[in-house]
Amino acid sequence: MFIQFIVSFYEKLFIKMLSALPENVMVELAFIQGALIFASELILLSIGFTLTYVTAKIPNFAHGTYAGIGIYVVYTFASLFHVNPYWGFPVAFLFGGLVSVIVYLLVIGTLTKMGSGSIVLTISTLAIQIFLTALLSIYAYWVLVTYHQYAQAFLLKDLDFEFAGWPGIFIVAMGTSIVTVIILHFTLTRTKLGIAMRATAEDPELASVLGININQIQLFSWFITGALACLAGAMYPLWFQSSPGSGSAIITSIMAGSLLGGFENVYGAIIGGFIVGLSEIVLTYLGQIYIGVWVGEYRSLVPMLFLIIVLLIEPRGLQGFYDRFVASRVKVKPALEEGEKKND
Amino acid sequence: MIDQVALGIISSLPTVEGLPRLITDVALSFGFFVIVAMALNFQYGNAGIPNMGCAVQVIVGAFTLSAITSRLSYQIMVWINVPIGPWDTNYDWIYGNVARVGVVNEVIKNNPFLGIGLLLFSLAVAMVLGAILGYLMSLPAIRLRATYLMIVLITVADASQRFGFNIPAICGGTLGMAIPNPFEWYPGDQSLVVGVVTLFIGLVSFFVFRTMLNSPYGRLMRSIRENEVTVSSVGKNVVSIRRNILMFASAITAIAGVLYATWINFVSVSFYYRNYWTYWPWLMLILGGPGNNAGTFLGCVLIVIFRKLIQMYKWVIDPYIFFTAQILEDLILGFLLLAVMLFRPNGLIPEKLLYIPGVNYTQLVKEQVKVDWRSTPKARKTKPSSEAKEADK
Repeated sequence: MFIQFIVSFYEKLFIKMLSALPENVMVELAFIQGALIFASELILLSIGFTLTYVTAKIPNFAHGTYAGIGIYVVYTFASLFHVNPYWGFPVAFLFGGLVSVIVYLLVIGTLTKMGSGSIVLTISTLAIQIFLTALLSIYAYWVLVTYHQYAQAFLLKDLDFEFAGWPGIFIVAMGTSIVTVIILHFTLTRTKLGIAMRATAEDPELASVLGININQIQLFSWFITGALACLAGAMYPLWFQSSPGSGSAIITSIMAGSLLGGFENVYGAIIGGFIVGLSEIVLTYLGQIYIGVWVGEYRSLVPMLFLIIVLLIEPRGLQGFYDRFVASRVKVKPALEEGEKKND
Repeated sequence: MIDQVALGIISSLPTVEGLPRLITDVALSFGFFVIVAMALNFQYGNAGIPNMGCAVQVIVGAFTLSAITSRLSYQIMVWINVPIGPWDTNYDWIYGNVARVGVVNEVIKNNPFLGIGLLLFSLAVAMVLGAILGYLMSLPAIRLRATYLMIVLITVADASQRFGFNIPAICGGTLGMAIPNPFEWYPGDQSLVVGVVTLFIGLVSFFVFRTMLNSPYGRLMRSIRENEVTVSSVGKNVVSIRRNILMFASAITAIAGVLYATWINFVSVSFYYRNYWTYWPWLMLILGGPGNNAGTFLGCVLIVIFRKLIQMYKWVIDPYIFFTAQILEDLILGFLLLAVMLFRPNGLIPEKLLYIPGVNYTQLVKEQVKVDWRSTPKARKTKPSSEAKEADK
């Protein structure tokens, strides 16, 4: 009797633990997965943003909107063509690159040839952002009118595959960002094209003297920028809810990640994008647990906080800290910080 | 006796409908936007500060009305023993709002001075808050490159939306709030009074800006825009001058927010989206030509009329498009910004040199000086003239 009672008690306890524990673990796991997916998307976006900043010396506000284009490419494949959304990834890559090249040829390149300053160029990127976002909204309406599907807000999580209990997008996002970083590293350091890109970014006139076709290099870097952004956007609707404006809404996180990395260093952008993307979700989650549920409303303030803190402490981000560290070890006076006190 | 006669004359005014309605609306919008665009011209056209946070400066004016002035008016009601509902909890603050505003409006109907006092009070508070906001916004990035400042200001504008939506004590959260109407005592169409006041304030601020531009300070601003290093090398504190300009212009921009909210008697965060209050004024500025107030006026008039026509004849356009007119407006906004920058980079009216009393430019500078401030220092270098080329040959 007594033994039976104890056995049944432990049985109940065990069942309770089993039913209670995995649920919590699942929630935590889902949050960490979401944070990592977002971080790896932000790595791709920050790399592109930094590449634009290095080659054209302007912050490209339309960069987030390229991601919005990727979102709708995948939506088209998944909901209109009824195929696996992953088929949209290479198309998004090429299409984003194409859009970016067109934007460069029509607007940025023309304005640069006209001798416009960086402020006018930046405003032109804002105009492109407004224009492209409006086009995406029009596309969403067109889908509504033609196919009678609601494309203003959607989530494609159901169409994702599962691999050994892990959601497919988690593996794909992590894998894509890691592979991209490795390929980019080897391109920039080992191939002629990458070295030409770096040379063009350093000093375009000197690079052209050495026989590098600057125009082609510029076109290539703009292509890579848009393509990576569009690829990152293509992963977005597989885990997060998407709308025509969600691409433009990420731009603050992208800029925060890029700024944390120093704005002019691709490797810094990788670290910065990862940190900002991870902390945007993890900090909000922790805040919701330990401070209150209302913290969740202020998720978009986290990257802004990063921006302001980095600008107040060290405007050159991690690159500045690294330079200082190196200078302190070599015991040479650090060069005049060019990022500061220089207004175009 | 006299006030009764005046009231009789005022109340016999016809109601505003049809074409006069359109003209009134255009004049009102022109008044709001010209204040913002002139302040923008002051900052960007003359001092080279790219202020992308106009929306947040405008929203401060609206928040002043909903969060401070309306609380003050309720407190005044308590002091003069007029029964009014409670407003301590968030629930009462939001759901008792319309009833409380009705009580205040009844009192203002018989006491015009209370309404005018409330308006002046909110204008003063909005200017102070706007200046404080300008200081805070300038903190992170005013000493860095101009593009850093743009990034910070744009994100700040987003943050103001977040706070407005999620803190009900400011303006009732997503629901918005009605605010006491300071012109309730006017029996006719109150938008006429708001229009007159707005245009008057616009005129005053125009003269203030013009006086500042033609003073030595204006020349200092332009020299900062042209070459910051030179200015700092002759002993001027560039950072503090820029900060002062940003604070001053923020204060003026906040006035536009107060007047706009007074016109519609309602404050909701959704009226202050970034497109509406930042990018349209920028388009006006760039279209008219940055650096002179005449261009700003022209751009403002053209854009306001254009937008009002779209809004009025929406029912004509609607059958031909399958999306909303709002998206069409955004599309046109982006397209026009790009087109103006590509095809008319100097704007409709190019910039003129500043007026300096006692100095004749044409005598001072023999050759015609073409100020093209947009160009980079490299492109601005004068090309070798044909005479020099012939001499080389």
